[in-house]
Amino acid sequence: MGNRITIPFGSQHVALPEPIRFVFQTENEKIVDVEVDVGYVHRGIEKACMTKFKYTQVGYVVARVCGLCAISHTLGYVTAVERLMEIEVPKKALYLRLLVSELDRVHSHLLAMGHLAEVAGYENLFMHTFRDRELVMELQELVTGNRIQFDYATVGGVNRDLSLEVERELREKLKDLQERCLWLKDVFENDYTIKLRWKGIGVITPEMARELNVVGPPARASGLATDARNEFNYLPFKEVGYKLITMKDGDIYARNMVRAEETLNSLEMIFNLLDGMPEGDIKVPVKGLPEGEAFVRIEAPRGELFYYLKGSKKLILDRLRIKVPTFSNIPVMKELFIGMDYADVPATVISFDPCLSCTAR
Amino acid sequence: MNLKKYRTKSPWILHYNTGSCNGCDVEILACLAPKYDIERFGILNRGNPKQSDILLVTGPVTKRARERLIRLYMEMPEPKVVVAVGVCACTGGVFRGMYNVENGVDKFIPVDVYVPGCAARPENIIDGVVRALEILEKKKKDLQLTRKCTGTEELEYLLGKQLNRRKIVAEGTRRCYESRRD
Repeated sequence: MGNRITIPFGSQHVALPEPIRFVFQTENEKIVDVEVDVGYVHRGIEKACMTKFKYTQVGYVVARVCGLCAISHTLGYVTAVERLMEIEVPKKALYLRLLVSELDRVHSHLLAMGHLAEVAGYENLFMHTFRDRELVMELQELVTGNRIQFDYATVGGVNRDLSLEVERELREKLKDLQERCLWLKDVFENDYTIKLRWKGIGVITPEMARELNVVGPPARASGLATDARNEFNYLPFKEVGYKLITMKDGDIYARNMVRAEETLNSLEMIFNLLDGMPEGDIKVPVKGLPEGEAFVRIEAPRGELFYYLKGSKKLILDRLRIKVPTFSNIPVMKELFIGMDYADVPATVISFDPCLSCTAR
Repeated sequence: MNLKKYRTKSPWILHYNTGSCNGCDVEILACLAPKYDIERFGILNRGNPKQSDILLVTGPVTKRARERLIRLYMEMPEPKVVVAVGVCACTGGVFRGMYNVENGVDKFIPVDVYVPGCAARPENIIDGVVRALEILEKKKKDLQLTRKCTGTEELEYLLGKQLNRRKIVAEGTRRCYESRRD
């Protein structure tokens, strides 16, 4: 065997917008050992939520756990509080939350696909994907008032109503977006070089996925039918045409295709939702203080997000626990790297769409 | 060849995340995308601190990222400009006072431009970078003044006009090395 060489990847790297550090031990380009360090962005949000902020404010603080899946975090917290305090949320508010959460999923998936293309060396495809992503950002701005970090959901409903003009514009732009997403999916599916580059790389077998508890698109790409939208009733997904998408291969290509299919399904759901939008209020007044325990599972764009909440009739919560999707996916990442070529590492890391800001909190 | 003119127009960016929520990072990424294409102005995002002129920092400074931030700043060549993107980088924002956070970038490295917003919009980021370019220009001029070899008039007076230019330069170089040794 050749010499052992230590290669540090991160914490500051061109391919990574976030600080994560891998230390690879390689022998002749093959990785034999890896260390993962994710603690660079730890801010102590859980502690602050239990000491500094009131329970009505915590929804806006946990949105700052992650900028990409801000609405998922807020939804998780808000749903947990509503279950504790037994608040009945109006149906229109639920539909509006669903609209924004699906828009968020579309933009996050497009970002992941584009980023994956860039890391594999397809600069042009990256640019195309990001051009189409800008359309979703515009829609988000139209509906919520901000491009990212929209504080949309609140305890008891949502903060903004959907006006008629916005709805009309939304429909027009969504049609355009759907066509572009179909085109993108076609490119990602049929491009010859992409297949050569991504097929059979970083394979997670179903047994491995089950054993190491993989969540989100990586799990669905290797054939596990896990989706919190299907299993946990927090928003009316089944009324608007939700489909569970699974694939068999479990490689980078399959993960990307799961994302592409889910994007199209999300857009379909948004169309159905706009057609069947109920009338009524968007917010109900909140009285009382939370008491007891509740847990909620939310399907964030990257996978299952878990919220645990405990209150004892005080303004400040007793305990808030967040378990994020990337945390569940790190063990399998480590398992995959051993025995892999070093050249495949960036594409494999990005194919999981890691969110270190969530993981370290 | 006068390279100075072209260097001012292609500032390269180094982007570092010191604990932000990815909101501002994604907006910086959106700046590179076709809608707000900053690459057409020659502004490129490089990962190498030794090639960069502008340091974009996002997020409140966590205790572990602090050393990396200072090290990256030290590795960048002069003249350099620091742009704090987002409220978290400016003052700490919603994370202000949390136990692992040090409230803003300007506690550790000098910040030239503050870009507000949660998350900072791409238009604002581009605006901030353009402001930073003016400051970069100014810093470059200051740097040139201080680098100028002082005492050349004295040298010319001592050696007189009859000596040729080569000897003056040689004498200046010798003095320069002597002063360095101190």
